[in-house]
Amino acid sequence: MKKFPRRNKMIIYGDLLIVLQNSAGPERIVLSQVQTKINVPYDRLKVYIQDLVELGLVEDEVSCKVSEKGLRYIEEYKRVLDFVTRMGLSY
Amino acid sequence: MLYTTEHIIIEIISAIACFILVRFMIKPYQLTGKTQYLGLPIGFGFLGVSYTVSTIVYSFFNFPELGWVQLFVRGFAFLVLAITYFFSKAEKNARLLWKIILALLAIIFVVMTLLVTVVSPQVSLEDYRLSYFVIRTFSLFSLGYIIIHTLRNNRTDAKTVASSLGFVLLAIEQYSQLIWVVDASYFALFGGLTFRLGSLAVFLYITYKALYGKRDDQNN
Repeated sequence: MKKFPRRNKMIIYGDLLIVLQNSAGPERIVLSQVQTKINVPYDRLKVYIQDLVELGLVEDEVSCKVSEKGLRYIEEYKRVLDFVTRMGLSY
Repeated sequence: MLYTTEHIIIEIISAIACFILVRFMIKPYQLTGKTQYLGLPIGFGFLGVSYTVSTIVYSFFNFPELGWVQLFVRGFAFLVLAITYFFSKAEKNARLLWKIILALLAIIFVVMTLLVTVVSPQVSLEDYRLSYFVIRTFSLFSLGYIIIHTLRNNRTDAKTVASSLGFVLLAIEQYSQLIWVVDASYFALFGGLTFRLGSLAVFLYITYKALYGKRDDQNN
């Protein structure tokens, strides 16, 4: 079985926000699909989404729509990951 | 010594470039909180300090002990960078080990500072030349490791080629400095300094492109 490297919370938040942003559409976001994509247990995923709502990165727990602040975080997060990749470091 | 003014100007430009890089290289740590990302700003910070010390050494010749400081600090900077890349490839849980290494590096730095300020002024010029040779060779090996690491990453992601180039230029600079110690050739000295400026320009370009430039996924 493939072993996933340990991620810290900020990286999980970044990955989660990107998945939520990509899953956004007219239909409601299915959390079990999100869970599979970012590889965290369902109960932990609910806690992370609560955290994101408290941080103002996601609008609410029902729609899971990424807020303006969340979009800015995604942009910054992608730039930092790009920098780390360009410098030849892994993340 | 000939061309001192030109040498001092290049040292000042190098120091400024390094401190600008530190200012932006701290961002990954600020955003993710991963201590592994502290290695780059610490390494380039020490490089900047060593270039600042070099500026003082070449401006005022009355501080021979500072020659030791710039020598050790620069060697230390390359060691920190090499360790950063070593831990970057570790996929297993190496966070505790990284923190231990970081603490050890801090202790080594304190001991080195004491040695350099207390013991080194009593050491002869010949010993300084030998130490210079040993530390520059050690720096070359550290840079060699980083180059191999970034080139290996390049097989999976072509974006890393610029960082490989930056470290290759820094390695050529270290090699030129070694030649300069052996035959006192100004061609080697200024050739090396030019390669260093080229290397810092490459790193500034990478930083600007990644953190402020237009990203590939923004094209459409």
